[in-house]
Amino acid sequence: MKDRLRISVSGIRGEVPGALNVEVASKFSSAFSSYLEEGKVALCRDSRCSSHMLEMAVCSSIIASGLDCADFGMLPTPFLQFLMRKESFAGGISITGGHNPLSWNAIILLDTGGDYLDVSEGSEVFNIYEAGDFRKAQWRDLGKTHTLKFPLELYLEKLSKIIDIESIRKGNYKVVADPCNGSASTFLKDFAEFFRINLIPINDNPEKPFPHPPEPSMENASQVEAVVKSTGADLGFLLNSDSSRLSFVNEKAEALSEEMTFPLFLLSLKGKVKKAITTTVTTSWADWAAENIGITISRTRVGQSSVVHTMESEGAEAGGEGSGSVSLLSFSAGYDSLLALAVILEYMSREEKVLSELTQPFPPLHMKKIKIEVPPERTYRVMDRLEEIYCRENPDCTDGIRIERKGVWFNIRPSLTEFVLRITIEGEKEKEVESIEDELMARIGQ
Amino acid sequence: MRISDLKISISGIRGIIGESLTPQLILKFSEAFSTYIGGGKIAVASDTRPSAEMVKNAVFAGILSCGVSPIDLGILPIPSLQIYTKEKKLDGAISITASHNPVEWNALKLIRKGGHFLYPLEAEELLDVYYQGRFRRVEKPEKIEIENEPFATHEQKVFHFVDRDLIKTKNIKVVVDPCGGAASSYVQKFLEGLGAEVVCVNCGLKEGFPRNPEPVAENLGDLCKAVRKHEADIGFAQDADADRLAAVDENGVPIGEEYTLALAVDFYLKRKKRSPVVVNLSTSRVLEDVARMSEVSIFMSKVGEINVARKMAEVGAKIGGEGNGGIMVSDIHTCRDSFSGMALLLEYIAWSGKKLSEIRAELPDYFMMKHKVKASYKDWRKILSRLTRKYSGGKIQDLDGLRVDYPDFWFHIRPSNTEPVVRVQVEAKNRKLAKEEFKKIMEVI
Repeated sequence: MKDRLRISVSGIRGEVPGALNVEVASKFSSAFSSYLEEGKVALCRDSRCSSHMLEMAVCSSIIASGLDCADFGMLPTPFLQFLMRKESFAGGISITGGHNPLSWNAIILLDTGGDYLDVSEGSEVFNIYEAGDFRKAQWRDLGKTHTLKFPLELYLEKLSKIIDIESIRKGNYKVVADPCNGSASTFLKDFAEFFRINLIPINDNPEKPFPHPPEPSMENASQVEAVVKSTGADLGFLLNSDSSRLSFVNEKAEALSEEMTFPLFLLSLKGKVKKAITTTVTTSWADWAAENIGITISRTRVGQSSVVHTMESEGAEAGGEGSGSVSLLSFSAGYDSLLALAVILEYMSREEKVLSELTQPFPPLHMKKIKIEVPPERTYRVMDRLEEIYCRENPDCTDGIRIERKGVWFNIRPSLTEFVLRITIEGEKEKEVESIEDELMARIGQ
Repeated sequence: MRISDLKISISGIRGIIGESLTPQLILKFSEAFSTYIGGGKIAVASDTRPSAEMVKNAVFAGILSCGVSPIDLGILPIPSLQIYTKEKKLDGAISITASHNPVEWNALKLIRKGGHFLYPLEAEELLDVYYQGRFRRVEKPEKIEIENEPFATHEQKVFHFVDRDLIKTKNIKVVVDPCGGAASSYVQKFLEGLGAEVVCVNCGLKEGFPRNPEPVAENLGDLCKAVRKHEADIGFAQDADADRLAAVDENGVPIGEEYTLALAVDFYLKRKKRSPVVVNLSTSRVLEDVARMSEVSIFMSKVGEINVARKMAEVGAKIGGEGNGGIMVSDIHTCRDSFSGMALLLEYIAWSGKKLSEIRAELPDYFMMKHKVKASYKDWRKILSRLTRKYSGGKIQDLDGLRVDYPDFWFHIRPSNTEPVVRVQVEAKNRKLAKEEFKKIMEVI
């Protein structure tokens, strides 16, 4: 699978250099610039060793098409998306593999307001890519590159308008941060200073490779757990490489599931939002939290593109996914981990509770996430067979197949970002989850 | 027949921005070169064209893609890049310059270890890699290194080579016109360092070139005027990548690129070292006179810097060049270098105590005509056989096209490497004879 590229609105994604390389990056950027036709393209990258190389290929193609390139260098994607709301850009490109392993990377295309492209916009770009008929500017009309610094103060100022920063400041929190040597590494100090957080950073050197898979999860949290324990910190957190996902470690040095981030976020927003959007594979804690604060929640396809576009079309203020991502439309169009952190810290200080107290009322649920490697040419057959098997159980086909039984649900879907089928099972009893896993494995194995 | 403006040849890749030279092609070519070099370090420099930024980003991406470490030298003359590559023992270099082509063009020129252009056979190997399109792409690219003083290596070599104290004592006033090109940021300080008083025209970096970048007489109006206005002793015109040089005398009269080379060689032989001389087949006969006056032998090579350089190495020549103003001094580096040329001419004036026009007058006069004729390769074969038959009485050299020498005139005709044209050159003792002979040749063509 090393030479296979995944192309979708979730990004043009693959392993470097077999699938994703400078040639592919350059062609997609030329196609995207041709689609945009004019204006300025905002550009940023994460800390992966291949990102700077891809950024140069992208930049060359943007200016060759006659569009200007506003290059923010290494920057979290949500920061770029935040700025794109405020300033006028024709579109944006973020070069980041997000949660993918170090050897991967991706070209993420953003529309004028910082949203991921929707499916119809994406297909316009991919059509131009396939036709290979790119816009070429004459020498006089080539674009210019502007090397820019992200105005963090604007971001913090906006944060202070939506949450009570004074209460966080009074909390005097001691916090362990693990940005996974990703693009947020260099911004955390200023962020912590603003909130008067006593920050204990680990893995915050973007020059170094990732210390563990860049996916905020319980499995990857052992370092943070150890440091929280030894320093007696109030909490710890993990980010993915472009700072779009977040998971916590509580004051008892116990890692929380990344599925808890979004429900915690919703609880924090009590009284501030009326409607939320999540995906068909997100934990039922999301429904519980929505009910708890008296709002409605509906489910859509997986991925930032579909969640944020559904939020916009249905007028939902909040959104998020079980992967540890959250979004607040009044703030920006992206999944933003530092927004999640600030909002949840404010909740802690307002309630005067520690993290374990906030998660204590969560009903007991067990979730299992399974990946099965299935090449794209087999996906259709496998999914079709499962559909036949489960059609009597009234499946929800929003994204793959979702079956709800008493006290348990499961979802099987092809991933947008990897060559795998993703299975999510969640239930009140661990045993039930396990028996469904056996059932599915037997049926997929057939 | 459709002729593409994209030129992929052993000279590199060349094309028009917004037409044929796309970022994808530049990437591919840089990846091919980096794959061919196979590792180590590659320096990158550009001239001042507005498209340099677009090209450079793609070049760096291509180099990084194939696991080679790039060094960014910014805007730099091509001889300085070659000398840097040699002195720092790098594995190669890429020069982003379309040299004397108009501003809408750009190109990549490829430099090998040792600071010379890729040898023709190597360039063919590279093209093979390029067309196969299978590159040595790596998982972990290297990082870009930035050189803050890219010109220093070149400058110091020239400073050590000439007698700067002698030049200083003569209060020589110089006007220099780098054509807003790659030398613009360096040439004034360089000439002052040699001990001259300097006035600079067309030194500012602007969109496009202030004049046609080829340093031939008809493009040097600004410089000639400035020489008269400032009552300077000498004027220098460089082309955009600063490999070629043309001098203007104290009266504001261009002495021509051929005579610029001739004077530099003349001085080298008289004052620096006795050595054989190598020039290309298109070079004026005045170089043969210069060699004869110093009683050294002269050799002719195929056209092209790399051919002259290799012939110089073969026959042990310390000095040589190409008649179009490309002066090559082995003490600095066997590449065409306008800076070495300027240093030699300044020292010549200082040493002789004469005016430039007087030194020029000591050499015999020739009149040269240069012309391009549109012709395909098939046309060229026909032209060649007709001319060979007609001029069988002269002294024939067929190393590179056809050169025929008669006592009072010679001509050289060869197909261009870069365009579908044949280049015709005729030189005679005077204008009248040159014109007559030129007309006869054109009738045959």
